[in-house]
Amino acid sequence: MIQITNLEKFYRTEEVETVALNKLNLEIKTGEFVAIMGPSGCGKSTLLNILGLLDDPDAGSYLFNGTEVAHFNERKRADLRKHNIGFVFQSFNLIDELTVFENVELPLIYTGVSAVERKTRVEEVLTKMQIMHRRNHYPQQLSGGQQQRVAIARAVVNKPKLILADEPTGNLDSSNGNEVMELLTDLNEQGTTIIMVTHSEHDARYSHRIVRLLDGQTVMENIMM
Amino acid sequence: MLKNYFKIAFRGLLKNKSFTLINILGLALGVTAFLLIVFYVVDELSYDRYNIKASRIYRVNEDLKLGDNKVQYAVCMAPLAQTLKSDYPEVENVVRFKRTSSHFKKGTETFLEYDVLFADASVFDVFTLPLIYGDAHHALAKPNTVVLTKTAAKKYFGRTNVVGESLLADNNVSLLITGVMNDMPATSHFKANFLVSMSSYPNSYSDEWLRSDYNTYVLFHDKSGSKKLEAQFSQLLKKYSGLQMQSELKMSYDAFEKGGSYFKLNLIPLTDIHLHSNMTGELGVNGTVQYVYFFSIIAIFILVVACLNFINLSTARSANRSREVGVRKVLGSARKQLVFQFLSESVLIVFIATLIALAAAALLLPVFNQLSGKSLAVTVGTLQWLVPAVLISIMVVGLLSGAYPAFFLSSFRPVDVLKGKLSGGFQSSKLRNALVTFQFFISVFLITGTLVVFKQLQYVQNRDLGYNRNQVLIIHNAFELGNQAKVLKQELRAMPGVVNATLTAFLPVASARNTAIFYKEAVADPKQSLFPQVWSVDEDYVSTLGMKIIAGRNFSNRMSMDSSGVILNQTAVKFLGLINPINKTIYRSSGGVNPTFKPYRILGVVKDFNFNSLRENISPVIMQLSENSGSLSIRINTANLPALLTNIQQKWKSLSSAQFEYAFMDAEFDKLYRTEQQVGKIFLTFTILAITIACLGLFGLAAYAAEQRTKEIGIRKVLGAEVSVIVALLSKDFIKLVVIAIVLATPLAWWAMHQWLQEFAYRINISWWVYALSGCTAIFIASITVSFQSVKAAMANPIKSLRSE
Repeated sequence: MIQITNLEKFYRTEEVETVALNKLNLEIKTGEFVAIMGPSGCGKSTLLNILGLLDDPDAGSYLFNGTEVAHFNERKRADLRKHNIGFVFQSFNLIDELTVFENVELPLIYTGVSAVERKTRVEEVLTKMQIMHRRNHYPQQLSGGQQQRVAIARAVVNKPKLILADEPTGNLDSSNGNEVMELLTDLNEQGTTIIMVTHSEHDARYSHRIVRLLDGQTVMENIMM
Repeated sequence: MLKNYFKIAFRGLLKNKSFTLINILGLALGVTAFLLIVFYVVDELSYDRYNIKASRIYRVNEDLKLGDNKVQYAVCMAPLAQTLKSDYPEVENVVRFKRTSSHFKKGTETFLEYDVLFADASVFDVFTLPLIYGDAHHALAKPNTVVLTKTAAKKYFGRTNVVGESLLADNNVSLLITGVMNDMPATSHFKANFLVSMSSYPNSYSDEWLRSDYNTYVLFHDKSGSKKLEAQFSQLLKKYSGLQMQSELKMSYDAFEKGGSYFKLNLIPLTDIHLHSNMTGELGVNGTVQYVYFFSIIAIFILVVACLNFINLSTARSANRSREVGVRKVLGSARKQLVFQFLSESVLIVFIATLIALAAAALLLPVFNQLSGKSLAVTVGTLQWLVPAVLISIMVVGLLSGAYPAFFLSSFRPVDVLKGKLSGGFQSSKLRNALVTFQFFISVFLITGTLVVFKQLQYVQNRDLGYNRNQVLIIHNAFELGNQAKVLKQELRAMPGVVNATLTAFLPVASARNTAIFYKEAVADPKQSLFPQVWSVDEDYVSTLGMKIIAGRNFSNRMSMDSSGVILNQTAVKFLGLINPINKTIYRSSGGVNPTFKPYRILGVVKDFNFNSLRENISPVIMQLSENSGSLSIRINTANLPALLTNIQQKWKSLSSAQFEYAFMDAEFDKLYRTEQQVGKIFLTFTILAITIACLGLFGLAAYAAEQRTKEIGIRKVLGAEVSVIVALLSKDFIKLVVIAIVLATPLAWWAMHQWLQEFAYRINISWWVYALSGCTAIFIASITVSFQSVKAAMANPIKSLRSE
């Protein structure tokens, strides 16, 4: 599904140039569950942003399902993103002014799904995430675990082929964290490819493969299964 | 999608209540002011357009230069109208008016009516004045017929269908009522409640081509006719006036022109009269186009200030919206969609603000009417332009003020904003600084303008006018008493509390006026001519009105020769070029064919006094001792005015059954400046509004600035900064902008107000402190606004602000 070759990304300030990704190579197959680990500043988040087409690389190639997407313009990236990729963040990033239902509905609006179908699909996914009873609440009225379940519901409502999760349990206690990891595992078992950035060895154990980064390079890969 | 946007917008507005309040209130205030001024401006521009044939109607004006005297008349010669109609094929019709005032009787009561016009029968063909009763074609064809308005009919008869009744006018002339018309529209440059047939006025058949008395309106077949006619005017004058000139002035028209004198005729479109004509002999008081420009600019200023608030507050709030932008982008929103979202939000806010503004404007319309002296009302006609105008302006204002925030917000990169990197966005906005500066630029300009207008008005009211207008009571209808007027004058002079009294209709406030031609020698030489006001006064005039004789003496009843003596004002002496004027003789021309010259001896010179508004220079005045019992002016000196008034009224009643109509001279004087006073008040009101709106915005910005710098403030306080230091730190940035605004606005304000003052012959110099005061006012207001937020932020517990990070 994903083929990355010699990917490079630099951050420049007036005096210093920092290398975030240094000729990185990585392949991820459809249906995989990959955890990306490494110390702060190793380039994990940069990689995830590039994979999610939120950022563009300075050099190298990024094939998504066989298409070169490294230098897509913003419109094309947005288009690819909304049909293929779901995001889960550490800080949930729900919109405060929208209810649970409306937050989850949002991606469907952007892909032009009809109102009737939106209702069915949102309710379906909310039921699956066991958060249906909270559908008319606002994010501030929910616990952290519930918020993250809403965020996952939002990420999967469009049935994306790929889910990118950036420390999805970082703001949660261990029991809520485990619940979220179970959810991701379920999704993976149903065929969704998952790439997760994490600091937690415990969470990483849910994945098939751990990619360890240091200074923008892959230093080790552990196959879990 | 749109529903989602509005939902978000609505909830966002509800969530940030203070932001919403400031934003919507500011906009609503701005739009209210804008709407009211637009009402005013539309009204001013709509004058005379109610006439269906308005675009084809022109008025003939006359420019006259006689020696050094130059006058522009809104009137021209009696026979001109008929000549135009019969000799010039491009002319479809003509109508003449002659303004007059008249008394009409209702039972035993007599009323003095000012809105009376003699009018040619063609008036109803030229002007759109529909008759409710009567036949427009024949209504004014015969002598002694009158058409009156519905209101006038009700006043005199208690009903409207009064065709066939008669109205008893001055000298027991009975006028047959041949028509009743609707009241004239308020947007007419002249007002008439009574149109009396022109043929009732004997002089209207006059063949005098050297005397101008008639407001003459021409209806052309088509607009191009006006150019054609104007080109032939000089020929026409040569032909008709030239002949009479030969006999009166004993000179040919060519010689007359060679001497530097001239007669000229020109045309002004009917629809230009109200705003562009201020000549001698106007049918009514016209407006000034400058004020229309003035107010239009203020309206746009206020709206701009309100829009800038919106832009400033929206971009300042961007930090709070950035996460939403990030999430939406991550979920697949294209930039276009975000721009559209933010634009629809701003249109929504403008829409809400406009609804509030419409309601507010409707409620405030009566107050505004009082302020502006207009009678504006919302009618079906208003709605025809108002509704589309409001819809368009909602879109325009919404898009204009939403555009920058929309493009600014939608440009955020999701990677940055989701990581919270964007808090630096606030201080770095140069644009926002520019906008705040511009708002205060406008405010300083308006403050200066207000100060200058009020200074000038104060100056006008306190200026030594050459007479004393205080404590003078005027009985306007003394003529009712006939010969008894003199008796009343003598009896009142004996009354305690009365200092003096004078019997004449010629007063330095708006009243009777009369002009004549005088010559230095008994020859009709234009170069030696004077074209002064000639006033009939009595021997008590000068002393009653507190004027000063600076050479020679006043009139005296004991000197029988005084009736052929005159008193000149200083200007008349100057115009005639007399060195020692006393006892010199000047000559008054009888006018007409073969004029005679009557000699007058100059008895005295009176110090110049203002008798028109201070907008005009003092012109020559010659006073003659002759009887005129038009009105009675009484100088009083009493602590108990009501008692004195009662006594005077009793005296009046013992002599006449007519109503006792009185006024005070200072109040009459103030009427001359009603326009300026209104302009002053409107200026003040809208200046306060503009500053309020600008301060609302500043208040909001200061709040955001304080919020953005919470951490900095916390750290500074932990390190030992005092509250005052922090307040100064937070206020400094804003005050700097206000100071820049003052520096930029002052030259412009100087220029604009200087232009305005040129309209006054007697005016103030704008002194430096006016600018200093307006600058200080702006800084003061801005400081208070900003420090309210700064102090709050500075007083907060630093632990709290640091923990929140």
